Amino acid sequence: MSSSKVSNKHYFAWLKHPRHYLFFKIFIWFWLTITGTVAALIFLSNITAINAVSTEPLRGPMKKNLIYTAKSIERSATKHKRTLADVLSHPRLSKRKILFLGAAQPEDALSNKEIPAEIDLNLLSFSQNLAPQVIFTEKYQAFGPVNISVPEGQFYLYEIDINHQPPLLMRFKLMPNWMKVLVAIFASLILSFIFSRNLIAPINSLKKAAIKLSSGDLSARVAIPASRKDELGVLGRDFNSMANQLEQLISAQKRLLADISHELRSPLTRLKMATGLAQMQANEASQSYLLRIEKEANQLDKMIADVLQVSRLEAQSQTLSLQKQSLKDIVEHVLNDAQFEAKQNTKTLTFSGNADVMLSCDESLIASALENLLRNAIKYAHSNISFNVHYNNQIYIEICDDGPGVPNEQLSKLCEPFFRQSDARDRVSGGTGLGLAIAKNAIIAHGGSLALSNKEKGGLCANITLPLIKE
Amino acid sequence: MKLLMIDDDTGLCELLTEYLAAQGFDVQSVHDGEQGLKLALSNDYALILLDVMLPTLDGFEVLKQLRQTKLTPVIMLTAKGEDFDRIFGLELGADDYIPKPFNHRELLARVKAITRRIEHINSLNVATPSKMNINGITVNLAAREAAINEHTLTLTGTEYEVLVLLIKNAGEVVSKEQISEEVLGRRLASFDRSIDMHVSNIRKKIAEHIHGERIKTMRGTGYVFIQGE
Repeated sequence: MSSSKVSNKHYFAWLKHPRHYLFFKIFIWFWLTITGTVAALIFLSNITAINAVSTEPLRGPMKKNLIYTAKSIERSATKHKRTLADVLSHPRLSKRKILFLGAAQPEDALSNKEIPAEIDLNLLSFSQNLAPQVIFTEKYQAFGPVNISVPEGQFYLYEIDINHQPPLLMRFKLMPNWMKVLVAIFASLILSFIFSRNLIAPINSLKKAAIKLSSGDLSARVAIPASRKDELGVLGRDFNSMANQLEQLISAQKRLLADISHELRSPLTRLKMATGLAQMQANEASQSYLLRIEKEANQLDKMIADVLQVSRLEAQSQTLSLQKQSLKDIVEHVLNDAQFEAKQNTKTLTFSGNADVMLSCDESLIASALENLLRNAIKYAHSNISFNVHYNNQIYIEICDDGPGVPNEQLSKLCEPFFRQSDARDRVSGGTGLGLAIAKNAIIAHGGSLALSNKEKGGLCANITLPLIKE
Repeated sequence: MKLLMIDDDTGLCELLTEYLAAQGFDVQSVHDGEQGLKLALSNDYALILLDVMLPTLDGFEVLKQLRQTKLTPVIMLTAKGEDFDRIFGLELGADDYIPKPFNHRELLARVKAITRRIEHINSLNVATPSKMNINGITVNLAAREAAINEHTLTLTGTEYEVLVLLIKNAGEVVSKEQISEEVLGRRLASFDRSIDMHVSNIRKKIAEHIHGERIKTMRGTGYVFIQGE
């Protein structure tokens, strides 16, 4: 429950502090650069082109056709002595597209059809002295001019095409400015996003792998495709080979510890046996020394067993003999011994809650975990130890003492093998220094968790969760 | 009393031979599985101490092959913490186990518990009826045999003792602690499944010849032999 909250928080963290994320820095800079460049280009091009008009020389049949039309108008105006207005209203011409006859004076201009109000033909006046062109404007396209000399004067023939869509490039050029900017923004946005993602994705993968590795998951690797040959690809592969090396070293070290412990057993068995033989023959004076030897051999035996247990649990090679078991049985059993131990130390152990629930577990492992935690609590408690068990969707076990607690920065180290609070490694406190490591690993092996914390009023609390049997 | 020790640790064998000799046992030791099995099959030992890790033939294999023909009591020497070894050994018909490195007193106690039983039973035979027949199972105390409809059950010494204890108290719950103390000669350690393993072996062997449950588990307390319909 709480873990999902944390991950949600983490997931949206970038919204709160985008400046903490390299992705946004790179993204924003690229985006600004691209949009800035595009904006500057648009601005400059707008200064040079005052009106949204562009021209291209007219070529091919279109030109010939236009010249032919001009000639026929000229001919019918001069030969048949008709006014230009008459010529233009002739059905043969009036059926055509708009024909426009520009004149030196705009008011003398003529056309064969009514020209829509939004069409500003005055724009064409600049072209009167040019060779025939295609003239693109926002609303229409004009072909011309072709000179016509009639008795009425000098005219310039244009054919106007209102519906014609200008070619793609022209369309871009003639787009309204806000749209140009919008397009530029979107295009650059997408490009920058892809670019930064491409750059950041391997870094993120690297970050995740590093976090996993540092939290103890030695199998964590970066997922970087072998085809990636840039610096990030090389970095990722270097990281992976480093992780490999680390994994090998640590597993070799753990195996060494387990192997040594295992090999120590044979001589230890012989030592115990020899001690037994010596005890049968020794006189009164040396008996106490032999007892001491036996005691130390037993301590050594216990340590070896604990080291082996921890390393087996850590390597997950322990075969758990899982059995459906009532937690109550285990708790009662553990509690009996612990009560006795607490009484001997003149401390009070109080049990509360309800342990009447079934779980699937290796009872000896769970019992040894609880025993270790209780023994620890009894050892460090001032006078009271509380032991609480309750359950809803999982089992919660809390073991608290009222002792001095542990400095917060050492809490995480408590479960490491052979960790002792005082550097003097006071053996007086007894135990092998592996109790908490065994407890933690045993609980993790059952899919549970163990967290240690300090109480506000002083004292250490161990909080265990264990999964219930899935029905 | 003749014991056989099969362990590849020669140093330990020497020490143990000397130690047990002082307690009145005659210990013969071999250091590999094949030789051990050969000796175990050709001689009648009062008890075999069998290590798990052995050259040529491991301890489980020796036990498996031995049990096909002989019911000589066997104590397995297992590595401490190897729960699997312990349970597997008992399943194969070992009478008891002792984790290495062991305490010499503990070893002696277990050896004595198993060897003493034979003498104890022999002396007891005079006083108790030599045959009992309850719910289809016949026990011949003189011959140390249990049978169902003339079929003799191949029980190990420990299994036989557990069955007899349950039959003598038929209809009553016998606790695991009581079984452990009377049969294995030791207190039941916490979370020790040895008795459960022995009872499970007996059940399997009974089920081969007869229908229906004979030994019932009483959760948290012990076992009860069902007296009859």
